Amino acid sequence: MEHILLRSRDISDIRKLDVYLRNGGYEGLKKAVLEHTSDQVIQIVKDSGLRGRGGAGFSTGMKWSFIPRDYPVKYVVVNADESEPGTFKDRELMEFNPHQVIEGAMIAAYAIKARAVYIYLRGEFWDIAGDLDQCIEQAREKGLVGQNILGTDWSCECYTHLGAGAYICGEETALLNSLQGLIGQPRVRPPFPAQVGGGLYYEPTVVNNVETLANVPWIIVNGAEAYKKIGTEKSPGTKIFCVSGHVNNPGNYEFPLGITFRQLIEAAGGMRDGKKCKAILPSGASGPVVPGTDKVLDTPLTYEDVAAIDTVLGSASVIIMDEDTDMVWAALKMARFFKHESCGKCTPCREGTYWLYRVISDLYKGNATLKDIELLADVAANMQGVTICALGDFAANPILSTVKHFRAEYEAYVKAQKPATVASAAD
Amino acid sequence: MPDKVEFVTIFIDGEAYQVPKGANLVDVAKFYADNDIPVFCYHPKMSPVGMCRMCLVELGNSVDRQTNDIKYNADGKPEVMWFPKLQTACTTTVTHGMAVRTDTPKVTDARDDVIEFILTSHPLDCPICDKGGECPLQNLTMRHGAGVSRFDFDNKLHLDKHVPLGELIYLDRERCIQCARCTRFCDEVVGDPVLGFHERGRSLQIVTLSDPPFDTYFSGNTTDICPVGALTTADFRFGARPWELNEVPSLDPYGPEGANISLSTRLDRDSGGVTIIKRVMPRQNEYVNEIWISDKTRFGHHHSRAENRLSKPMVRREDGTLETVSWNEALNTIAEVLKKSAGSVGAVAGPMVSNEDLWELRQLVELTGGSKLGIWPATMTGAEAVAQVGVGTGTNFKDMGKGTTIVVVASDLEEEAPIWFLRTKQARDRGAKLMLLTARPTKLDKYAACILRHHHGETLNAVNNLIGAVLSSDGFTFEESRAEGFDTVKKAKYKGDEAGYDEAAKMITGAENVVVLVGHEGLTLAQHGDVMQSAANLLILTGHVGKPNNGLIPVWPGANTQGALDLGFSAEATADALSQSVVIVAGADPVGTDPAAKAFIASADFVIALSMFDTATTAIAKVILPRQSVPERDGTFTNGERRVQRFYTAQGLIGDTRPDWKVFSQLSNLIDPAVKVRLSAAAVMAEITKNVPRYAEMSYKNLARMEKQFPDVGGDDLYYGGTAYGNHGGLGVQWPVDAEAAGKKLTLKAVKSEKTAKRKGLVAVPVRRLYDRSPEFSASQMMHQRIPSAYAQLSRKDAEKLKVVEGDDITLVFGDGKVRVTAKVDGSTPEGVVLVPVNLTDNPVPTAPMAVEVEK
Ligand SMILES: Cc1cc2nc3c(=O)[nH]c(=O)nc-3n(C[C@H](O)[C@H](O)[C@H](O)COP(=O)(O)O)c2cc1C
Ligand code: SF4
Ligand code: SF4
Ligand code: FES
Repeated sequence: MEHILLRSRDISDIRKLDVYLRNGGYEGLKKAVLEHTSDQVIQIVKDSGLRGRGGAGFSTGMKWSFIPRDYPVKYVVVNADESEPGTFKDRELMEFNPHQVIEGAMIAAYAIKARAVYIYLRGEFWDIAGDLDQCIEQAREKGLVGQNILGTDWSCECYTHLGAGAYICGEETALLNSLQGLIGQPRVRPPFPAQVGGGLYYEPTVVNNVETLANVPWIIVNGAEAYKKIGTEKSPGTKIFCVSGHVNNPGNYEFPLGITFRQLIEAAGGMRDGKKCKAILPSGASGPVVPGTDKVLDTPLTYEDVAAIDTVLGSASVIIMDEDTDMVWAALKMARFFKHESCGKCTPCREGTYWLYRVISDLYKGNATLKDIELLADVAANMQGVTICALGDFAANPILSTVKHFRAEYEAYVKAQKPATVASAAD
Repeated sequence: MPDKVEFVTIFIDGEAYQVPKGANLVDVAKFYADNDIPVFCYHPKMSPVGMCRMCLVELGNSVDRQTNDIKYNADGKPEVMWFPKLQTACTTTVTHGMAVRTDTPKVTDARDDVIEFILTSHPLDCPICDKGGECPLQNLTMRHGAGVSRFDFDNKLHLDKHVPLGELIYLDRERCIQCARCTRFCDEVVGDPVLGFHERGRSLQIVTLSDPPFDTYFSGNTTDICPVGALTTADFRFGARPWELNEVPSLDPYGPEGANISLSTRLDRDSGGVTIIKRVMPRQNEYVNEIWISDKTRFGHHHSRAENRLSKPMVRREDGTLETVSWNEALNTIAEVLKKSAGSVGAVAGPMVSNEDLWELRQLVELTGGSKLGIWPATMTGAEAVAQVGVGTGTNFKDMGKGTTIVVVASDLEEEAPIWFLRTKQARDRGAKLMLLTARPTKLDKYAACILRHHHGETLNAVNNLIGAVLSSDGFTFEESRAEGFDTVKKAKYKGDEAGYDEAAKMITGAENVVVLVGHEGLTLAQHGDVMQSAANLLILTGHVGKPNNGLIPVWPGANTQGALDLGFSAEATADALSQSVVIVAGADPVGTDPAAKAFIASADFVIALSMFDTATTAIAKVILPRQSVPERDGTFTNGERRVQRFYTAQGLIGDTRPDWKVFSQLSNLIDPAVKVRLSAAAVMAEITKNVPRYAEMSYKNLARMEKQFPDVGGDDLYYGGTAYGNHGGLGVQWPVDAEAAGKKLTLKAVKSEKTAKRKGLVAVPVRRLYDRSPEFSASQMMHQRIPSAYAQLSRKDAEKLKVVEGDDITLVFGDGKVRVTAKVDGSTPEGVVLVPVNLTDNPVPTAPMAVEVEK
């Protein structure tokens, strides 16, 4: 199959503008700008069924359509913060197929008549940002970015911006604050980014993930119908699956949505050392863990099917854990991650992430009773559904799901007062 | 609440309420349904942030999207679509058909959970915490807290407990619950973004971002609104427990705003069994200061029991030595002198002298046949302009927003009247337009929609030209029935075409409401009178008089300047008063604060000084009588909005002192036994109500009247407005101006523009700084770092000419007077002037502009 997104796998030099152009590059932007109105572009993307690849899976065309038409100042923000543990797809896209990302962002900008595009990259991506800047300049020389794009009266700038190393700045409203130079904490919604008062500099703004936007040129060139033929009805298109953990060939794999976990593991070279799959995190650290049962392994990777097994597809950062994995240890690692990354703005997450981490550390060190397992689950449950952003829910997921599926392992820690055996100690 | 709002129906726990559309759900539930939705981060004076999650409620909607009508089911109950998740009430504004549930298990559980989360990292400090006893967290823990903690005590984070955010306010990092009230107060209410959050997660902490730290005149307010004991003042921390304190209503003794305060007093070991002030808190008066006070008001109270307070009457003997005498002897001595004075008696009263004192002082002077009643400082005038067109009764800055234009003339409002600065800034944030007629940049500039910059001293022409532009603006008509004297305005031929003035004129004529605040920077007394009159003309011509939120507000130099004018005192009379053979000076130090005063008073034979401190004036006085500070006594002040307000006796007596009214009344009685001695301040006010028509309604009973205020803070729940104190002392009463009287015709008296003289040499322009070295303020040791050292500010050009650089010691020479100050050089100072702060230097500087020479 030809890749739609990871095209560098098929055409190795596609990151160069001339190669990209020779291979149909910027045809989507040209078609959008020269043949369609903004509303038509939105309609095509809506019809394609494209859903956001940043995590929530919200309809991209719908998101664009929320932007007020006649409002004078609007922005597109590309979420390139990519900080979910186990996620490394946006990085490959930006490194090896950067113009497709820029093109997708410019089409989005045309669709909402944005004044500027900001690509917000996590701080560690400083080298990618430098390369993207060059790509933007090249595109500008060709009249694809900047003043009077493609000779029309539409002008739109494109900038990159580096974050400063916070997971929370991937959350779209924290990202907007960070981009504005404010402390990286989420905003209370409403107003939503698409609304006046809610976006970048409080102007209506579309925030989309890198991968989401990388789909858009193909959709414009080939049409919504063609796109819908790929994947499933509710989850059309291809998706990059970031496979990591105990497989032989971890890495990015682009497949139509709807392949099963089993197929994905096979594609990634199968389980390492022929071990059995014990558990899967389909969406990095933030989604609930599921056990590696046959039912799970045969679940198609679509938004709807994964939801049916009580977890989420999210950004499809699939972490595979084999039979030797200590699930309490894994939960501890994730608890530590969220304790470290909670922005601290709202009480249940700020205090809850710290509390969970303390209790699970104690448990891991052998200083806990059975009641502490209930405490863990209860504290985690109390964090859900009451916070400003989803991080509070995310932080509870690994605890709740490991207690649910692997309770025996917790009990073993308590009963045997088992000291730490795996990897380093709690801290 | 402002009127003209649309009311909508909402349902709280099943009951229907009519509430103002768009109002905050937490406010509405409390005010209309008596339902206290618990909050920590929300504060009705600031925009919601939804951080603490304490206010979670079930929220739903019963409105049919098509018809926008509420859907009712068969038994008349609204059919509600509930949100699946709980929502924060504090970030919710009410809409038609909204439904709220606050009493379900889901809500109660969520509240319990949030309290539990907060307590996991809150220390067990209550027994030693300043907030203990009036702490929102304590109170809500009583209501929602679990009996037992599930959090392992050893896991508690230990953080710094004495982090100075500057020398006035301390942060206890363990106690902070990250509610952002303090940061929002600085950012939103004041506009000084000097606090911020640093780090994230459990490390999220408050830091100060400014240098000097916590650099704002309002820092103390954060300690009131902090919902826990995380912020404490250097003044009060560990000083007393709230339940030992007695709250006594009082007033700010310094500024013309008349900020309402509450003095928390206690019988104290350290004060030898005298009831003393332990702290100063704001007292809610939504008309005046809402729930805010400046740090000067909060921390200045130490003067009231300063070591160097005068405590006994003293008489100067022939050889010049002072002798402590009994009150009897002192009063008899004075009475003898007054009897022989043949009417050559003058009186000068300072700005902290109460209406009762002033009244009795006037009776005394008149009894001796004298008539010269002056005020100090003698810098501002305009009683007549105020009487005609002072702001309408019921004026409230809080109601000003879109449609209002606020004009600030010749004043640095932040320094001269910080509460008006804050309220003006907030009105502007709500959409009011701010216009400045000032000679130099001040902090208000960044909020101004229009700045009519002019030279110091040329303010009159600026106001006149604005009138000129109004007259020549499109469609301007004047209803002759409004006022007489329109012809004088027409004849004055003001310039109507100065650049920028047409835009300014539109901001006046196009506004629904116009308020003009007039200061006196750069103006002589006569010029200031002209500016007041011209400003009054502007208001009359454009019809912005006689109704709330319209009219004139003078930025008087002190707390009771308005009262002094109301009772017959004036700045014009001051020079004459000081030149009589017997001069009574009450609560003022003319000799020490203006070189000109020294010259006037030199001709007096006998100076009687009523003072709290040794001053240059007491140094030449023949009899010195110790005054009482405001907290030691009761009385009334009249603020710049003509609101007469009461202050009550709070502190035990310091020394053998008497209130001034009593002293004057006793003296009158000694001179003429037929004059009865008044027995109380209330009795004096009763006299005033009978004799001064404007004060007819100002009985103590009326002044103590209360009404339910919005927002409803300071109640038993405490959490809602922090600990800002409920008002039990009254809201005061404003006297109505002529413009409000039906059928009363006003008078326009055009003032001719001045020829702008060619400027020669430098002019010293006195400026007011909030923190100064007057003994009534500088007695507060804790403020010393914040009081500027003596300085004078020069423009870059003048400094270059004089070869002066920033930091040089220079001598200012005016006439006979000389002061040594440090030079400040900056781009904001206009050429040709030297800005000289008053009350910062050891030797007096002029209180009116005056030629100056600068020597190195
Ligand atoms: C804690 C948190 C972290 C997130 N991190 C990222 C991220 O790194 N990259 C990303 O694209 N979206 C991230 N998101 C999702 C964004 O908030 C947002 O939904 C997304 O950028 C929308 O783009 P899409 O519609 O194209 O998916 C995160 C959300 C949360 C709550
Ligand atoms: S849920 Fe956590 S990360 Fe999100 S706003 Fe609240 S404290 Fe910050
Ligand atoms: S110091 Fe007080 S007001 Fe400021 S964030 Fe902490 S708890 Fe809130
Ligand atoms: S979240 Fe509403 S009061 Fe704090």
